[in-house]
Amino acid sequence: MLEAFNFRVILEYMPLYGKCFLATLWLSALSLFGAILVGIIACAMRLSQSRFLSRAAGVYIESIRSTPLLAQLYFFYFGLPTLGIMLPEWVTGVLALTLNSGAYYAEIIRSGIQAIHFGQIEAGIASGLSYFQRMRHIILPQALGMTIRPMLGQAIVLVKDSSLLSLISIMELTRAGQLLTSERFMPTEGFLTTAAFYLIIYYMLKAFSNWSEKRLIFQEAY
Amino acid sequence: MISFKNVNKWYGDLHVLNDIDLEIAPGEVVVVCGPSGSGKSTLIRCINRLEPIQKGELVVDNMAVHDKKINMTKIRADIGFVFQSFNLYPHMTALQNTTIAPLKVRKMKNEEAEKLGREVLTRVGLEDRIDHYPAQLSGGQQQRVAIARGLCMRPKIMLFDEPTSALDPEMIGEVLDVMKTLAREGMTMMVVTHEMGFAREVANRVVFMDEGKIVEVAPPNDFFTNPQTERGKYFLSSILSH
Repeated sequence: MLEAFNFRVILEYMPLYGKCFLATLWLSALSLFGAILVGIIACAMRLSQSRFLSRAAGVYIESIRSTPLLAQLYFFYFGLPTLGIMLPEWVTGVLALTLNSGAYYAEIIRSGIQAIHFGQIEAGIASGLSYFQRMRHIILPQALGMTIRPMLGQAIVLVKDSSLLSLISIMELTRAGQLLTSERFMPTEGFLTTAAFYLIIYYMLKAFSNWSEKRLIFQEAY
Repeated sequence: MISFKNVNKWYGDLHVLNDIDLEIAPGEVVVVCGPSGSGKSTLIRCINRLEPIQKGELVVDNMAVHDKKINMTKIRADIGFVFQSFNLYPHMTALQNTTIAPLKVRKMKNEEAEKLGREVLTRVGLEDRIDHYPAQLSGGQQQRVAIARGLCMRPKIMLFDEPTSALDPEMIGEVLDVMKTLAREGMTMMVVTHEMGFAREVANRVVFMDEGKIVEVAPPNDFFTNPQTERGKYFLSSILSH
């Protein structure tokens, strides 16, 4: 098998892979940052007293979770221009990934928030802390700390989902594999190399998660 | 300081507070007791509007708490509240638990808040537990941190909702001692408790409640030795008989 595996061609394509690896990295990072932000906001809306806000967030979360990402991506890619909204491909891609993962993050963060004993929130209210102060200092630090692992899981899903961006002709890791396949007809080399780069990202995320778990989860506190 | 006038509250059909009239003077210590479900916790939770009332007037430190339009932040900052289940923030040390509200609500400077926190924690006897997390403290120590958290806001009123009910018997004393000191220093206090020794020692009045009504208000010695109502007699016999 090793004889059949052409390392020379992989080396030849390495500059392309390098560029695409960086593209996947920053597209994912941007989407991840946006998704956590959207997740926090959607979750706060979902849990708010206002029926309107709660319903609106509910519709958003349900409709994202019940439809395939590819359909959402196509909706943004083909649908938005017909509404007169012209965006660069990478913006469309980041938008779709952000809104998609945002819905999942909203649910993950909600599980973290609802695991917090309500008495702590009452204690915050009783001492005069405002809604945002309670969120910032009491609720979110604990909710995010407790949910580091599912959040990491969703981050990995997001990185892998970014491969769908190859379908709207964004240059990223999967697209590099497709190029190698179509130009040299070497699918094994092409996609195994792609897979190896995803593995690198996975280990980077895992290292970050282990580090942040030590920092964010106050082991002595529980 | 606290004035209930004809206060009523319902949970659905359940009439939890029924025509409550009660005046509490500055510096007074009032113990509220009564059987479970009598509305005593609800009564003190209304004072800082953890529970809203539906009818009547409730004035605290000249502010109309019954008025839906009033901003509660300022009143709440002036009222310390101690819960049965402590409700400390588990991700913060004892010191951070006590300084968060002074820092964020009173906008105090870091060093100033820390100095205050250390001082108040020392007052409740926890000078050697300042950097411990709640999970590293015993129940009695946690409740004393909770009291310190309230005191750090330099409150005008302290409210206690069954502060010793969740504690092991040998830890009740240390919490009650802190509360007795506070009472003697002239703090206005309302305490829901069944600790009759505490009531006898420092309370000015005992309020006995049943089924959402105030049944009897009397100085502790009169209430404990000679309750005026059948309901009061029955309650005392049932808690003293074991």
